[in-house]
Amino acid sequence: MTQLACPFCGPRELEEFLFHKTLPSPDATPFADAYLRANHRDVSAEHWQHVRGCRAWLEVTRNPSTDKVLEVKLIGPVRA
Amino acid sequence: MSPSSGATTLRARLVPRYSAWSLVRARLATSGYWRPLWTGAQLKDAYDVIVVGAGGHGLATAFHLARDHGIKRIAVLDRSLVGYGNVGRNTTIVRSNYLLPQNHYFYEDSLRRWETLSRDLNYNVMYSSRGVCETINSDDEMAAAARRGNAMRLAGIDAELLDREGLRRFAPEIDLHHRRRFPIVGGLLQRRGGTVRHDAVAWGYARAATALGVDIIENCEVTGVRAAAGVATGVETTRGYVRADRIVFAVAGHTGAIGTMLGVELPIETHLLQAAVTEPIKPLVNCVLIYFAEHSEIYVAQSDRGSLVFGGLLDGFPSYTREGQWGRLEDVAQTLVELLPQTAGLKVLRHWAGTNDQTMDGSPIMDRLVYDNVFLNGGWCFGGFKAIPASGAHFATFVATGTPPDLIRNYRLSRFQMGHMLDERGGGPFPVRV
Repeated sequence: MTQLACPFCGPRELEEFLFHKTLPSPDATPFADAYLRANHRDVSAEHWQHVRGCRAWLEVTRNPSTDKVLEVKLIGPVRA
Repeated sequence: MSPSSGATTLRARLVPRYSAWSLVRARLATSGYWRPLWTGAQLKDAYDVIVVGAGGHGLATAFHLARDHGIKRIAVLDRSLVGYGNVGRNTTIVRSNYLLPQNHYFYEDSLRRWETLSRDLNYNVMYSSRGVCETINSDDEMAAAARRGNAMRLAGIDAELLDREGLRRFAPEIDLHHRRRFPIVGGLLQRRGGTVRHDAVAWGYARAATALGVDIIENCEVTGVRAAAGVATGVETTRGYVRADRIVFAVAGHTGAIGTMLGVELPIETHLLQAAVTEPIKPLVNCVLIYFAEHSEIYVAQSDRGSLVFGGLLDGFPSYTREGQWGRLEDVAQTLVELLPQTAGLKVLRHWAGTNDQTMDGSPIMDRLVYDNVFLNGGWCFGGFKAIPASGAHFATFVATGTPPDLIRNYRLSRFQMGHMLDERGGGPFPVRV
C-alpha cells in the first residue's frame, strides 16, 4: 500500500492522506465510539482525509492484515 | 530468595551463576561448560500462573512472580521463540523524562531498576547511561521543555535544560550552524537515560526465570481462554488445554487479538513502528539524540558495533503486516540527515517494522480483563522496552496479591470512562498523527 485512489484527484501518494479512525459498529455507545476500537485483522471500514490534497473525507475499505485497499469512496453528499 | 524445592535446585544447577570464577572454570573445562540458558521445560497440565508472551514484560513478570512472591508453578507460553517480538525490535532507549507524575514516577522506578538489572539477573544487559537529549527547535518548545524538566526535577528525577552553548558542549556532533528548516535552540537532557542491549534483557530474564523453576514453553500458541462460572479456568493452546489459576497476557503488539479472543473492544489500535540501522562507523553519536521537526521525529543512538540505530513516528494507520511504509522510512531518514548532515552518505543495512499497541491516551494498560483472574499488560505505545523492569516487578505484585501497587494503579482500563486519561501529548483519543 503506497497509494490511495482519491475519487477527485486520482491515485496519490499515501503521505497526502491522514488516517482518522476505524468506523465503530452502528450500535456503539458514544463512549465506545470515541475510545474503543474493534482492532481486528479483518477487512474494516475507515475514515481518511486527503489533507494534503483536495481535503475530501473518504471512507476506505481496507484489510489491515495485507494493507490491501478494496474501495475508496466519498463520505456524505457531493454538490454538483 | 526463592523458596527451594527439588525442581528449583535442579534447575539452578543447570543455570550456573556467572562470575570471574565461572569464566576460569569455563576456560579450564574441556567441554560442556556452556549450556543453553533456557531449554527442556515440558508443558504440564496445570499451573498457578500462565504468562502468555515470552517477551520482556512476560518474562519479567514470571521472574518476579517466582522470586518475590514464591509462586512455584509458572509457565511462560509463546507462539514463537523467546525475544522474537518487540523486545528484539525496539531502539533500546531507556529514559524517564515524562511530564505527568503518573508516568514519570513509574518510568523513573524502571530507570532505577535498569541501573542494577545486570546484578539482579546475574546477566550483563549492557546498560549504558550515555544521556538522552531531546533537541528544542523554538522558544515555545523551550518553554514546554522547561515545564517538563521542572516537573521531573520536582519528582527527584534528573533533568537539565540546555541552551545552544550547553547543547554544543554536550553533543558536539550536532552542527548548530547547519541551516535547518527548524533550527535547534537548545535541548532537554536526562543524563541517566541511555540504552540497554535489548536481546540481553530477554535472554537475562529467561535465564533467571528458568533458574527459579519457571517453565518457558516456546512454539506454543494460545488460541483461547476457557471459563466456567465467571472464572477463567485455563487456556487452549496449539499443544492442548492447560489449566491455570491465573492468566497473564503480555503480548505487546497483539493485545487487539486478546480483545477479540475475549470478546471485548479495547482502547487500542495496532500500528506499525519502524526502525533501521546503518552500516557501522567510528564513534559519532555519543548519546541518544531525539529531534522533533514539526512534521517528523527521529531518535538515534550508536550501537556498540558502530551502527546508527534510529526510528521515528508510526506509519500512521492500523496494520498487522509488519511491512513498513517506504514513505515513512524515507521521511525518518531525511530527518536524520537534517539533524546530522554528516550521515547523508551512510547506507542503511536493515530496516524493520513491528506491530505496536497504541492506546487512546498514549499510556499503557495494566488491569484485569473480563475475568477476575485474567490480567492484561499491554498498550505500551512508545514506552514498552524502557518499562520492562518496573512493569515486571509491579505487575507480578498485582497478579500475586490481587491489588495493583500505587505505581501502576493509574494504568487501569476504567480511566477512559472516568476521564482520568494520561494524555502526555494532549492529543485526544487518537494515536500520534502527522
